[in-house]
Amino acid sequence: MSESQEKLIRCFQAVFPDLNHGEVPRASVSSVAAWDSVATVRLAAAVEEEFGIQFEVDQIEKMTSFQGCLELLAGR
Amino acid sequence: MKLIEALQIANARHEGRPFQVLLACGCTPLHLETFVKAHLSLALPARNVQLRTGLYGDLAGTLEGARQPCDAVLVVLEWGDLDPRLAWRSAGRVNEQVIADAQARLNRLAEGITALADTMPLGLSLPSLPLAPAFHTSSQELNRIESALWQMLYGFAASTRAVVLHPNHASLEGGHDLKTELRSGFPYSVAQADRLAAALARAVLPRAPKKGLITDLDETLWSGVLGDDGPEGVTWDLDHKTQFHALYQNLLNTLAEAGVLLAVASKNDAGLVDKALTRADLVVGRNHLFPIEAHWGPKAKSVERILEAWNVGADSVVFVDDNPLELEQVRTAFPTLECVEFHKDDAAWLRELGDSFAKREVRAEDKLRTASIRAGQAIRRAAADDASLDALLAGAEARVSFCWGKQPPDPRALELINKTNQFNLNGVRYTEADWMAYLAGAATQLAVVDYQDRFGKLGKIAVLAGRETAGRFELDVWVMSCRAFSRRIEHQCLRMLLARWESVLLRFEPTERNAPMQDFVAQMAAGSRTIGRAEFRRRCPPLYHQAESHQMECTGV
Repeated sequence: MSESQEKLIRCFQAVFPDLNHGEVPRASVSSVAAWDSVATVRLAAAVEEEFGIQFEVDQIEKMTSFQGCLELLAGR
Repeated sequence: MKLIEALQIANARHEGRPFQVLLACGCTPLHLETFVKAHLSLALPARNVQLRTGLYGDLAGTLEGARQPCDAVLVVLEWGDLDPRLAWRSAGRVNEQVIADAQARLNRLAEGITALADTMPLGLSLPSLPLAPAFHTSSQELNRIESALWQMLYGFAASTRAVVLHPNHASLEGGHDLKTELRSGFPYSVAQADRLAAALARAVLPRAPKKGLITDLDETLWSGVLGDDGPEGVTWDLDHKTQFHALYQNLLNTLAEAGVLLAVASKNDAGLVDKALTRADLVVGRNHLFPIEAHWGPKAKSVERILEAWNVGADSVVFVDDNPLELEQVRTAFPTLECVEFHKDDAAWLRELGDSFAKREVRAEDKLRTASIRAGQAIRRAAADDASLDALLAGAEARVSFCWGKQPPDPRALELINKTNQFNLNGVRYTEADWMAYLAGAATQLAVVDYQDRFGKLGKIAVLAGRETAGRFELDVWVMSCRAFSRRIEHQCLRMLLARWESVLLRFEPTERNAPMQDFVAQMAAGSRTIGRAEFRRRCPPLYHQAESHQMECTGV
C-alpha cells in the first residue's frame, strides 16, 4: 500500500472512527451510514490539511468513496 | 493541532463524569465543534466532554433556550449575529440603520450572555472575521459604521462577567474561509477554528499560573557583564540600545505586584551585584527580589535554595537565563521547572513569558506574598527546633480568623484549592461549575481562614469545606498556603472544627505532592482518618494564636 493510501486511510478513520483499516478501501457514501454532507466537508478538510492541497467545490462533491478520493488525489 | 488529531481526540471514547458544554454560535459549528471538544478533552482527561450546539443563524435563541445547566458555555459572536446584512452569505445592502438594528440584537444577546455568565463560566469571542464588503469606503479605513459596531461591542465587553477573548488574539491572518462559508455556513479556516477553540477552552479552564520567576542578571536583567563592565557599566536604556532589558524589568515589576515571587540566581560577585541593584535607575523594585543568590557556585544549588526559601514546587517556577548550558544544568536538576532562554528584542517572547503568570484578578493576598515569605524565614529557621519555635510563636501575637459561609462564594477559596499542592487533603481540583455544585449542597459548610501576626499579614491562607453528618464533620477539602507553614495554623484549624463537632473525618488521600499533609495526618490521626477531641488534645502541640470564628453575612444569591 502506498504512502498516499495510508495517509488517506488515516483521514477516513479520523472522520469515520467506526471503520477499521481493512474496511476503509471499500468505504463509500452508500456503505457508510455516517457519511453525510457534514462528513464530506470534514473529510475534505482533513485530506486538504494532510496532503497540503486545496480542492475546488466540484471536486469535493465527487468525494463519494475512498477509491474516488484516491483518484482525485492521483489526478492532481 | 491538526484537524485529523482533533477528530481522533474528539471521537475517542472518554470515560469519567460528563463535562457538559454549550457551544453557542450562529454558524454551522463543524470544525469548531471538533476542535473545542478536542481541546477540552485534553484539558480534562478524566472527564467525558459533551457538547451541545444551537440552531444555525439563531445565536440569541440558543442562549435564551439554554435552560439545562452545564459546566461551561462558549459563545462565538460574528458580524452576522448582529445583523445578517453584515455577513458574507446575505449580500444585503448596508446603511446607517444597521447600527441601531445591531444594537438591538446585541442587547438581546447581552441579556442571554449575562444570565448564563452569572451562574457558569462563559467564554466569549468577539467577531474575528472581516465584515462583508458592503461599504463605499476603502477596506484599509475604519468607517463610521464599523467604528460604531466596535464601540458597542467593546462597551459590552467592558461590562460583562464573561471572559472575553482579545480580538487580536482570536483572529488569524487568512482565518476566513469564504469558500466553506458559502458552501457549508462554516466561515473559519481549519487553523482559525483551532486557534479559536483553544482560546475558548482556555477561557473557561484557565491554566494554573506559575508562582515564581528566577532570573539571571548579566545579559538578562541587564545588558553587559557586571564583572567586566562594572555596576555603572551595565545598561537597560534606549541610549545604549538595551531598552528590552528595561521592558523585562518592568514586566518583573508587574508580576511582583500581582504576587509572583522573584529571585535572582547569578554567577557573579555578590558585592558588585549589591551595588548594581542599588542603582537609582533600576526599573525592577529591589525589594521585589528575594532571595538573591549571587556567587560562583552552581546555579542548580542556587535554585534549590530559592525553592526552599519560597517553599514552592519546582513545577510552579520559571527560570530565565541567557546561557543554554546553565539552563540545561538547572533543567537536569529540576526536570519539572520551566527553563526559558532569554530572547532579546523579541516582543512575542516577552508576552508569552508574562502569560505564564497571567491571572484575572489580583487579590490582597497576592500583594502580601513576598513580604510574608521574608518574614517567614525566621519562623522556618526556628521550626527546626521545638523550643525556639515555641518561643517565637508565643511572642508572635498571631490571630487566626475563621470566616464561615458559602454565599456569595469567596473566589479566593477556589483559587487556593486549585493551586495548593503540599498541604492539600487529597489533591482534588474543582472546575468553577463543580465547585458551585459542591457548595450548593445543603449540608456543605465552608470556612476561609485568615492569618496575621506581628511579622505581617498573610491574608486568606487556608480553606476548609465539608459536610455535617450525625454530629461529626466530614472534611472534603482542606488546603493551606505553603507561606503559612510552621505556625501551627493547621492545628488551630482542627481545634476550631473540634470546638463545633465531636469528631472530624478526614477525606484524606496521599498524593505525590502532599507530603506535608501526610506528615500532619500521621502525627494527628495516627493511622486513622477520624480525629476526636480527646486524641486531638493529647497530640496537639501548644497553640498561641488568638482564634476567632464568625459567620459571613449573606449578601444575596
